[in-house]
Amino acid sequence: MLSLFATDFIENSLMKFIQTSGLMAIFSEGGYKYVIMICISLLLLYLAIKHKFEPLLLLPIAFGMLLTNLPGANMFHAELFAGGHVHWDIFVGKAGLIDYLYLGVKLGIYPCLIFVGVGAMTDFGPLIANPKSFLLGAAAQLGIFLTFIGAIALGFTPAEAASIGIIGGADGPTSIFLTSKLAPDLLGPIAIAAYSYMALVPVIQPPIMRALTTKKERMIKMSQLRQVSKTEKIIFPLVITIIISLLLPDAAPLIGCLMLGNLMKECGVVDRLSKTVQNELMNIVVIFLGISVGATATAASFLNPRTLGILALGIIAFGCGTAGGVLLAKFMNLFLKDGKKINPLIGSAGVSAVPMAARVSQTVGQKDNPSNFLLMHAMGPNVAGVVGSAVAAGILLCMLG
Amino acid sequence: MTLFVIDYPLPWSNILLIALFGIAIVFVVLVVLVYIMRLFGYVFTRKHKVTNTKAPLAISEEEVVAIVTALRLYNSALHDKESDMLTINRITRMYSPWNSKIHGLTQMPEHHNK
Repeated sequence: MLSLFATDFIENSLMKFIQTSGLMAIFSEGGYKYVIMICISLLLLYLAIKHKFEPLLLLPIAFGMLLTNLPGANMFHAELFAGGHVHWDIFVGKAGLIDYLYLGVKLGIYPCLIFVGVGAMTDFGPLIANPKSFLLGAAAQLGIFLTFIGAIALGFTPAEAASIGIIGGADGPTSIFLTSKLAPDLLGPIAIAAYSYMALVPVIQPPIMRALTTKKERMIKMSQLRQVSKTEKIIFPLVITIIISLLLPDAAPLIGCLMLGNLMKECGVVDRLSKTVQNELMNIVVIFLGISVGATATAASFLNPRTLGILALGIIAFGCGTAGGVLLAKFMNLFLKDGKKINPLIGSAGVSAVPMAARVSQTVGQKDNPSNFLLMHAMGPNVAGVVGSAVAAGILLCMLG
Repeated sequence: MTLFVIDYPLPWSNILLIALFGIAIVFVVLVVLVYIMRLFGYVFTRKHKVTNTKAPLAISEEEVVAIVTALRLYNSALHDKESDMLTINRITRMYSPWNSKIHGLTQMPEHHNK
């Protein structure tokens, strides 16, 4: 009798163990999707580790993707965030580790904290010295709005189209901030597209830059930038925060945090805070952000034709943004005197991707004129692009949120 | 099989207007910033110029040259006071295989005939 009971118990326990195992889910109907997603996450990990594609973000994103696609692990539950808001009534009972981490994305905390760190690492000196750079930063946002139209033509809703378009801003935290507000279902593919294309800036931009400029234009040497005083650098974040927040309150969280970080750096009296936001805080938030954003890339949300559409539109957004900056620089040259002309190559740095896009301008410029140093000139549009993409996100949030 | 179910939620005129207004507002906001920053630059560079132009008024060029020459002569006439004693400090180091000559050099060097 006892032995019969023991056999039943063992049999039941084994059956339960087998049924709850992830392998069972993989071999059940539709289980191949988990395998595909695991393979994609491993590919992204390979790209991050071997080819150093934005490894600081791509690695945690890919690992989050791996965790969420391990069937049975129950680390992330998309249904807790269904309909664009947090279902607090069932949250505590059902939430897994990544659900808790994802709250930081959902509530818009991580992108803003990252912006504090970005601000503390950014030198706005070249932009203050040459305010015209703001225009190039604005022109490079053209990609966002052209892609917005393209995405709607492909059947995305306006809110989804805006989230896809913001990939063209080449600014990861801004893309995540806007997408988490407007189209949280697309967060995984959009974050992956944004960071992958940012890593590919040195591949995507140079052909467009060369196609739109002549050799003579690429050889233009720009006059040296004026020196910027410490007072100017301290007043700058305050002025920008006040003006942009008054004109566009929806952009205030991003711009406010960016400028707070910058003020910490420039004022020189809170070195400890400045170092903390540049290093410890930034690194911690990047880990949480990466894992939780990666976790949203479940098989259901990722393996559909819309993801391919997002990837295609993302690269178009990047290309249009690059072209917009270069073309506006050429247009501005029509009105500028000799000696004050702008090298159009710095226009492409208007897509944020700091400082990679500025480095691309420098590299492409030096190929035609090895004695030309465009890096500092390109840093102006580059940091203007950060402000521009945050403004564009604020506008889209205001119009479609 | 259709890839996308195309059901435009807004008329195209509205979509184009959103895009147009969006980029226009980005430009307007950043143009406002351009002018503010130019004003900013004007005030600060002017301040620099004012301080730079005031300096020569306080003291003439000849006087500056005279002061610099006097300082140069004064400094070149100065010497550090140095002790005449030379000492060699002996340093005793703890034995370590890392600084041992026995372990560092070949004990029986071989002569290679070229």
